[in-house]
Amino acid sequence: MTEPLVLGIETSCDETAIGIVRGRTLIANVISSSVEEHARFGGVVPEIASRAHLESIQSVLSQALIEAKISLNDIDAFGVTAGPGLIGALLVGVSSASGLSLALNKPLYGVNHLSAHLAVDVLGSDHELKPSIGLLVSGGHSSILKVGDFTSDVEVIGSTMDDAAGEAFDKIARILQLEFPGGPAIDRLAREGDETAIDFPRGLSNHLDHPYDFSFSGLKTAVSRYLQKVPAAKVADVAASFQEAVVDVLLEKSISAARAYGVDRLIIAGGVAANSRLRQVASERTQRAGIELRTPPTTLCTDNGAMVAALTSLAVSSGAPASALGLAAQSSVGLEQVLWR
Amino acid sequence: MTTSLAIDTSTSRTTVAIVKNGVLLAQRDHDDPIAHGEILPRLVAELLQIENSVDEVVIGMGPGPFTGLRVGIVFGQSFALARGIPWRGVCSLDSMAAQIKENDCIVAIDARRKEFFWAHYVDGLRVNEPQVALTQVVDRMTASIHKEGEIYPAAGNLPALDGNIREPLYIRRPDAYPMPKGVLFRPMNQMDLVVVSSLEKAIYAGEDPWSMAQFKEELAANDRYYLVAEKDGVVIGYCGAMLAGEVADILTITVDPQNRRQGIGREFLKRLIDWSRNKKVEAIMLEVRVGNDAAQPLYTSNGFYPLTTRKDYYGPGLTALVMRKDLR
Repeated sequence: MTEPLVLGIETSCDETAIGIVRGRTLIANVISSSVEEHARFGGVVPEIASRAHLESIQSVLSQALIEAKISLNDIDAFGVTAGPGLIGALLVGVSSASGLSLALNKPLYGVNHLSAHLAVDVLGSDHELKPSIGLLVSGGHSSILKVGDFTSDVEVIGSTMDDAAGEAFDKIARILQLEFPGGPAIDRLAREGDETAIDFPRGLSNHLDHPYDFSFSGLKTAVSRYLQKVPAAKVADVAASFQEAVVDVLLEKSISAARAYGVDRLIIAGGVAANSRLRQVASERTQRAGIELRTPPTTLCTDNGAMVAALTSLAVSSGAPASALGLAAQSSVGLEQVLWR
Repeated sequence: MTTSLAIDTSTSRTTVAIVKNGVLLAQRDHDDPIAHGEILPRLVAELLQIENSVDEVVIGMGPGPFTGLRVGIVFGQSFALARGIPWRGVCSLDSMAAQIKENDCIVAIDARRKEFFWAHYVDGLRVNEPQVALTQVVDRMTASIHKEGEIYPAAGNLPALDGNIREPLYIRRPDAYPMPKGVLFRPMNQMDLVVVSSLEKAIYAGEDPWSMAQFKEELAANDRYYLVAEKDGVVIGYCGAMLAGEVADILTITVDPQNRRQGIGREFLKRLIDWSRNKKVEAIMLEVRVGNDAAQPLYTSNGFYPLTTRKDYYGPGLTALVMRKDLR
């Protein structure tokens, strides 16, 4: 088979996104976000997200086809995020994908959002795929994954006990009266601050029972206590020191996981992977540890359709069977299911 | 010469059909309120085995619980796009009414949360836009009522229905509303009385406004709850409620005209409802002036239903509509 032409749909949270790839080459990536609507609430509102998906998915699809200069008839296989995510939002993507696949009699693959976030790394170059540690950090997830194969062998070895890293950024941004989403706002402000100014706690570090798990709620409390105690604190210093604590613990645990599992590649993905400080420190520390660092381009780190298409493309090439008709979206699902049966 | 694929997921029944030149070739139904997403593709696949060549897709656009409704709509739209054929939306209540041989009836779809989506049909024609109402309100309507359960949309009749609806019939807005920006809500105190009573005088001139003394008395009385909304340090609205036995009575919700349409009234109402809930009363009552078209939809959308009217309540010729929301 020549390289498969695959269209991927992602609607698990607030982005309605469609990506098209040929093999490992990205040819279209269109994203419509309802983030501005959610900003007024300080977080994602499920019902608003679902309605926004329904309104925008057809136009996102048309735009993606125009960008790729192809017609739907050319597509060899469809992929869709089937979980985890907001159930009402997932349903829009899955139902759309089912309609397309049935209309054109082409296979449909329901894929796991988490694995797709890492699999997007295969796009754009033909580097050899090999066992890796994945650090997936976003508004909904903070996990360390052991990846043997993106489509069949992904294991969660650590995850957050409370807030996701991106969530912690959002909450701290709210405390500091910065805008939503909080990640970019803190990233920007932190550049003017001193990351060594305040020594905020590193949750669960050196914890024997939870070597690769995270906890950010204590950090959140520490930041608000600090602000109560020192109301005149320089906000940029607080932002920088908070960010440093998050970055430090994320990388400390990822690199020790790579060492423990004898893996020499670290992939950092998810929305928080766009954080400039995380990228900078990751690059320094992996170099020191002799680990190859892979970070997808920023545009492919936040939720997107290209990552779904990328994982689906790998599935097609590996000869994996397509999902059954009427595959069920699942809001909370781990990585025991990378491809839906 | 048209072959239509028809889809409706507005009720707990997923129904699909293939209709060729007005003749029903096949219809498939499946009852399950939470599995539209899994059922629909399987049913459609069965129909495509019978007739794969389709010229249009007809979709029931609701009203209906959105979780199921969206499945049929987005599936149908995507199918049409992929085949390069048109799609057309029709009202799902019309499909139910088309099966009833009565010249005056009401058709109702379960909207969950003790509400129905409903419409009234006379001589086979719908006489109102689909609406949402509490189950007990629909139950009291005079025409004969046909509810989901007794009857369902039938995909087979969708292609024969008029209409080209492009948007889902939501009727209900999302539950979440943004907080009004830059507005502070706090309990009313003595310091606010001058501003509050002057707002009252300006807004309710000719409708028997309360005096400052009356507000003062109210603040001092037991079982009262008064709030103000403040923007840039200026009071721009106020609201109040009292306990009267087993019910709470909303006494006023007032917003300065220059600051309306920002959700301040909605936020007031929400806080008064929350307060009433905490007081464990069985219902909340309020009066609204008949003709106050801005306020009434706010109350209806928050579960208030009309109970009775009081003539000359706000002064000669000014009728009040009494509305009630049950909390138990």
